[in-house]
Amino acid sequence: MRRVLLMIAAVAFAFGGAHAFTLTVAQGSDIVSLSPHKTNDQPSARVMRQIYDTLVIQTEELVLEAGLAESWEQVDATTWDFFIRPGVAFHNGDTLMGSDVKFTLDRLRDPATAAPGAFLVGFIDEITLVDDMTVRITTNGPFVPILSHLAHTATSILNERAVTEAGEDYGTSVVVGTGPFSFVSWQVANQIILDRNDAWWYGDVGPERVIFRAITEGTVRAIELEAGAIDIAYNLEPRDALRARQNPNITMAEIEALTTAYIGFNAQKEPFDDVRVRQAINHAVDAETIVDVIFEGFGFAANSPISSMVFGANTDLEPYEYDPERARQLLADAGLGSGFSTTLWTNNNPLRIQIAEIVQAQLGEIGISVDVQVLEWSTYLNDTAAGAHDMFILGWVTVTADADYGLYALFHSSNFGSAGNRTFWSSDRVDELLDLGRRESDPELRQAYYFEAQEIIRDEAPWIFLNTQIEAHATRSNVTGFVPHPAGHNRLYNVQKN
Amino acid sequence: MIKYIFRRILLLIPILLGVTVIVFGIMFLTPGDAAILMLGENAPPAELEALRERLGLNEPAYVQYGIWMARVVQLDFGRSIRSGRPVTGEIVARLPATVELALLATLLSIAIGVPLGVLSATRPNTVVDHTATVLAFGGLAMPVFWQGLIMILLFALVLDWLPPSGKLGGWQYYVLPTITLGTSAIAAITRMTRATMLETLSQDYVRTARSKGVRERSITYRHALRNAMIPIVTVIGLQFGALLSGAVITETIFSWPGIGLLAIDSIRAKDFPVVQGVVMMFALMYAFVNLVTDILYAYLDPRLKTRYS
Repeated sequence: MRRVLLMIAAVAFAFGGAHAFTLTVAQGSDIVSLSPHKTNDQPSARVMRQIYDTLVIQTEELVLEAGLAESWEQVDATTWDFFIRPGVAFHNGDTLMGSDVKFTLDRLRDPATAAPGAFLVGFIDEITLVDDMTVRITTNGPFVPILSHLAHTATSILNERAVTEAGEDYGTSVVVGTGPFSFVSWQVANQIILDRNDAWWYGDVGPERVIFRAITEGTVRAIELEAGAIDIAYNLEPRDALRARQNPNITMAEIEALTTAYIGFNAQKEPFDDVRVRQAINHAVDAETIVDVIFEGFGFAANSPISSMVFGANTDLEPYEYDPERARQLLADAGLGSGFSTTLWTNNNPLRIQIAEIVQAQLGEIGISVDVQVLEWSTYLNDTAAGAHDMFILGWVTVTADADYGLYALFHSSNFGSAGNRTFWSSDRVDELLDLGRRESDPELRQAYYFEAQEIIRDEAPWIFLNTQIEAHATRSNVTGFVPHPAGHNRLYNVQKN
Repeated sequence: MIKYIFRRILLLIPILLGVTVIVFGIMFLTPGDAAILMLGENAPPAELEALRERLGLNEPAYVQYGIWMARVVQLDFGRSIRSGRPVTGEIVARLPATVELALLATLLSIAIGVPLGVLSATRPNTVVDHTATVLAFGGLAMPVFWQGLIMILLFALVLDWLPPSGKLGGWQYYVLPTITLGTSAIAAITRMTRATMLETLSQDYVRTARSKGVRERSITYRHALRNAMIPIVTVIGLQFGALLSGAVITETIFSWPGIGLLAIDSIRAKDFPVVQGVVMMFALMYAFVNLVTDILYAYLDPRLKTRYS
């Protein structure tokens, strides 16, 4: 069998077909849908990224560049004009028009669509067509991060005719985009096949065919790569990644993700309404050690509420030092020298439960008796949104890689509860800074606002910053040009295989 | 005969009713609000209330069960929370892969288990017998996930003979999952064949046959094995049922796109309509296989046929 394949490869090479190769990529889960309006999960986004384009492109370096919108212009504080790139062809032969863009975004935000990604365009008040190729977006308040939102896969541009004609079938058997690869087939729970779009407006596409396989077991995914049955494996688990690092046939592609994990306090409940108690606990928890133990080197202690990859992240922030003595002193100052009893909630996530147990032990050292409670996910979200908790562990992914997305929902007083701010902590100055950040178009000023906001958050300590995670992707060593994207939906058009 | 089959089918009804109560309980006992699970936690309260009303979530438990049963009888399990597609359609699409694998594993276990059992029984307490016994207990004792991973390591990575996982066309993809899934069934069938063969071989009619000068080969297969078949067929039937529903682990390890993997994915995603549908499907298949086994008895044992005629 192998010999036959080699012969075929040799023949293909001899006749100049060196670039005609199939790239097989494996991830841990099957997709849910290939309609960006039906799902907002990562495995689906990773495939959709290859099929669709967005108005704005966010590169692997997190730079925003022109996508299906050739250029744009901010008319006033709440009005933006997007000039649609002419001559872009959909996979079904239609030419991209401004009406497709309006159709897509209106459909995305229509409550009747019930799109899980609709919140990403929650800032839109109205979309109008200035002319055939100019789309005007009016926002319901000044909103500078608009461009990074329009680069998210959930805002991928669809073909109006294809979506309307396919009805319920859109996203499963009918999928039409403008991207580097066109949809061929989806065998549920097995594989998705995409073929090269030779007419891609952006440029040349490397792989002739891309196959996405769903390989649930992390270890099997690693073995598939070691055996050379796949070319790229996404998200190796720590133990497999440590082994893969030693393998000369495998090249690791590790990247810091846009995730952040934290322990939040209910800042409106005693004793956590006292900033000294929150600071004491911050001093008593040794996040560094926790992260080393739990993530085996595939994560590191965070010093800010947002991942260092995110625009506006204050990477110079000094974290709380592990200092149980200081912690005891602060507790005594708060009148709780003899300690107290409290609860720490987590959902049924093995890593979080382990973290909770270590924190329990560390807080025991300073006289705080912690009861770790594991809650079912929807109950967990409901009850933390209702403020029934003391302390809780949760995470957040700043999908747009912009500080607004990572801070506004979690720290603005207008977002108490299910909107994201489950600590019910707020500060007038932070509210003001976050509002300024939405309005200010000068990047340097924006960054200064976010830096200051993060300093206040660190000092006021509504959170214990836990960690950011490293995504350990890996390729066979003959694969070149694979650059992982911090948001996780890696682009594959540039990949080559030797 | 018809009466016999009819009675067997009637017996299935209370069993399946019991299963529906348990399966319904999955949703009822799942902590959290089903409406929030379906619409997401940010759904407007009015929509949540409308969905609760539509699903009858505000009614008492027995009324909810009634509403649910009325749909289940028409094989309607609602729509998947994750994909929004009808549950029945998702199951039907994934069923062939599971049945295929279970059938292959059963055939494999019969092809190895029955001859091995016969061999053991006709040479009791010899090296052959002891080897078969050790192999059988080994097969029963090995955890499926461990065996699967070891086989992948050995045959895919070290020896490079077979693909590690997937179902991408070609017989090679069937080999490892079939053996992994079939191992415990091989063991069970071997043990059962040995035990019942030993019993029948000590019967009077076997001695009579021997004294008549019938060849040993013919005694073993024509006289003894046929009479030993009823318990063996029972075990095969039970094993097939177990393989259909027991494919969960094997399918997960080998990324085999059957309903076992669907069950695991749905449990992980808290997609309870699909979980309910899959569990109901497992119960139905199990019951159906048992029914077929019962009917086979009647063919193998004419006494059963006459009792009901």
